Amino acid sequence: MARIGVFVCWCGSNIAGTVDVKRVAEEAAKIPGVVEAIDYKYMCSDPGQNAFRNMIKDKNLTGVVLAACSPHMHENTFRKAAIKEGLNPYFVEIANIREQVSWVHEDKGKATEKAIDLLKMMVEKVKRNKPIEDVRVPLTKKALVIGGGISGIQAALDIANGGVEVILVEKEPSIGGKMIQLDETFPTLDCSSCIMTPKMVEAYQHPNIKLYTYSELEDVSGYIGNFNVKIRKKARSIVEKDCTGCGDCWNVCPMHKNVKSEFNVNLSERTAIYVPFPQAVPLIPVIDRSVCLHYKKGGKCQKCYDACGPKCINFDLQDEIIEEKVGAIVAATGYDLMENSLYGEYGYGQFKDVVSGLQFERLLSASGPTEGVIKRPSDGKTPETIVFIQCVGSRDPEKGVPYCSKVCCMYTAKHAKLFAHKVHGSQSYVFYIDIRATSKGYEEFVRSTMENDGAIYLRGRVSKIYENDGKLIVKGADTLSGNQVEIAADMVVLATGVIPKKGSDKMAQMLGISYDKYGFYTESHPKLRPAESSTAGIYLAGMAQGPRDIPESVVSGSAAASKILGLFSKSEYEVEGTIASVNKTTCVGCFYCQRVCAYSAISKEEVKDRSGNVLKIVANVNSGLCTGCGACVNACFSKSIDVRGFMDEQIFAEIKSLAV
Amino acid sequence: MEKMNEKIQNIAKELLENKEVNLIIGFTKGSNPLRMRSVFITDPKDVSKLSFNSHCVQDLAVFLKKPEVKKFGKIGIVVKGCDEKAVNTLIQEYQLSRDNIKIIGLECHGVIKQNLADKGENSLNQSTVYDKCLSCEVHTPALYDYLVESDEQAFEINDNSIKPYAKIEELDLMTAEERNGFWQNEFEKCIKCYACRQVCPLCYCTRCIVEKNTPQWIETNIEETGNAQWNMIRAYHLSGRCIGCGECERACPVNIPLMLINEKMARDTFEKFGYKSGIDINAKPVFGTFDINDFNDFIK
Repeated sequence: MARIGVFVCWCGSNIAGTVDVKRVAEEAAKIPGVVEAIDYKYMCSDPGQNAFRNMIKDKNLTGVVLAACSPHMHENTFRKAAIKEGLNPYFVEIANIREQVSWVHEDKGKATEKAIDLLKMMVEKVKRNKPIEDVRVPLTKKALVIGGGISGIQAALDIANGGVEVILVEKEPSIGGKMIQLDETFPTLDCSSCIMTPKMVEAYQHPNIKLYTYSELEDVSGYIGNFNVKIRKKARSIVEKDCTGCGDCWNVCPMHKNVKSEFNVNLSERTAIYVPFPQAVPLIPVIDRSVCLHYKKGGKCQKCYDACGPKCINFDLQDEIIEEKVGAIVAATGYDLMENSLYGEYGYGQFKDVVSGLQFERLLSASGPTEGVIKRPSDGKTPETIVFIQCVGSRDPEKGVPYCSKVCCMYTAKHAKLFAHKVHGSQSYVFYIDIRATSKGYEEFVRSTMENDGAIYLRGRVSKIYENDGKLIVKGADTLSGNQVEIAADMVVLATGVIPKKGSDKMAQMLGISYDKYGFYTESHPKLRPAESSTAGIYLAGMAQGPRDIPESVVSGSAAASKILGLFSKSEYEVEGTIASVNKTTCVGCFYCQRVCAYSAISKEEVKDRSGNVLKIVANVNSGLCTGCGACVNACFSKSIDVRGFMDEQIFAEIKSLAV
Repeated sequence: MEKMNEKIQNIAKELLENKEVNLIIGFTKGSNPLRMRSVFITDPKDVSKLSFNSHCVQDLAVFLKKPEVKKFGKIGIVVKGCDEKAVNTLIQEYQLSRDNIKIIGLECHGVIKQNLADKGENSLNQSTVYDKCLSCEVHTPALYDYLVESDEQAFEINDNSIKPYAKIEELDLMTAEERNGFWQNEFEKCIKCYACRQVCPLCYCTRCIVEKNTPQWIETNIEETGNAQWNMIRAYHLSGRCIGCGECERACPVNIPLMLINEKMARDTFEKFGYKSGIDINAKPVFGTFDINDFNDFIK
């Protein structure tokens, strides 16, 4: 015989202002099986929880229904309170009369009726609840970090320093990401490579970090605590353990004028055998087989091999597939910049002296193609006037993306400032829409660029750029004065919008995490679970989630790491018991459930008789992978799958409670 | 047809003698010359019973779901193109292993409506065949181990006014209320005998949803709600799966035009998702496939 207790929460005036809570409690008391129904001002308060516990104990309850806020808020609070009184936590049900009633309705009479209905449904449901045990999943205490930029490195270091083994996978030949390409960083102007290289070296040398560069994730399967990953270690054509990074090989490569350097964003050339930049970690070259003459001309050229002292060049090396088992994953795959060619009116690609922000970073950098002297690409002359254009692609739903790329206001101010510092008497103009400088020291930084470094900020867009007599004529609008302006510039720098790394959607599909329409990974909760992906055991960091600056990327890397260390601090991972279960008697093994399962949680299981003969093959749910989403329930023609806690019988009883 | 029968018999004999199969399911002559029935042959001496003509309306694939048949392990089956699509779907849905089935595919130009044959109709032409034969795309089966070509000429299509399932267009033009009225009228006749289910090669669940009683989703008594529920859910469970053999409609003792729903669903599935059932054993069934490009304009 069911003995149900009902609590109706006022939530102050949040609920009681729109719902007649006394009447709800009175009506609840009349429902068969309900032994007591009370209302209380704040159920989540200490006295509220005590009343809840006392009633379970005193009335010997078999189930409890709270009419209160969304179960997202306090379901856990009351489940824990129930456990303390020896009641299975899944005998606590919540009728959401705040988000679904009081906050969305005005008519008190109707709202009260609806609250009573919702409560009735939950009472009928809880009567049919069955005890559910949470599922315990073993944990492999090893983490995988995808992406060796600042956020990935930070995550890897924090996890490793917590005493956990980390595998750091980087697609490029060196770690360092976009940050290592930057010159000085706003707002403190510390040199990016000066603060980045120590981190890179630390990650490389850390005893708990296994680094795979020039490697890509090939496949991911499994679930939280038990992921199986395959990493494709692309053939560098170098026997890594023998390489000293001396540079004899790339110094003799005949391909020194043919390949654009990715690191210098096409502003210089590199050889076919190369390290992307002098401080590369690891300092081991790689042969770009798509351009190397050895591969293109049937093995004739082997100058690098001849020059190599330790003879560590092996042209025949093949890609290796490395399999690892990890318990958690950080996706820190970073970002790309939009194609500047989308904006024909700015002449990118047409005029050599129209460059992107990242190219300008390379022109400023001491390790860049001009060794830190600003020279324009067309003739190598030092520019005296530069026009900076912000929001190229960002905040432009028509041609670009509607969102703000967040870092451009700041790096443009930095560019203008560094330009003033490096070329005395120079003049910069900045076309902007708004200035967004909201972190510590940012506003002051932009101000100082305007006031101390003489940058002229013009609020408006540029309509056209054309070349005239060695100058770039920039035509635009200054919307504050209402004037059309025309500036003869030596160079133009475009603050190009940030987009997710190419292939991030494919990566998300491989990992089984959700991503937004742009390809940025989405958080489990945008505010309260910003480090977690939608899939348990997979965490997010850096620009892969959306535009952010270096400090935020570092914070997100650390946040992901702390989540993983927290996860690994337990011996097992507990999964909510509300997962799918198969009725193996009625299952006919059509496996539509397997086809629709987004989490690969369904496998095939043989049902055998006592002599071991296979009678039939049925669906089996992997409790570590199942999230209880219920897609399989809908796909099952014979209704042979139910989600525990949401059984057909319970749902049916809920609906029926309304029909009577 | 004699040549065709001889070929079928020879293939069956060889398969049985070589122990490549333990059972052959085929057609044989019925008690009435214009009625054919199924036959199950395990002894090579009996292959002479096998026969085929344009009265072989049955979809023999229905037997492949029966435990009594399954226990034979390796099975040979005589199929027309439409029935063969059911074999493909059973393989696709893991109900049958390709290794356990030998498909003796028949070239078929069409079969004569049984109700006409019962009145003595014996000529194959545009107005005597089933609607499915008019729009048939598998006169030669999509998949077979042996193909037996037809001895006969295909009938000529000379009357453009005869369109397969013409009623569908008529129903499409109705208002939702009118259409509902039409179907309520039809479903009113249903006596819940479940012949439609029993004869369907793809209704292989050992416990049908209508038999689930905790809770009872579908009313089992014969009244308006339950009748509509049963017929709609049956159609829904077959959408994107039904291969259009028409056995449900043929078996219905109260003549509910079930193929109108099945065919409408098949047309919609093709129009919206570009998918035709029963063609490719390796295709992903539309019901179990998520494609990012799927239309979603029904989500408002």
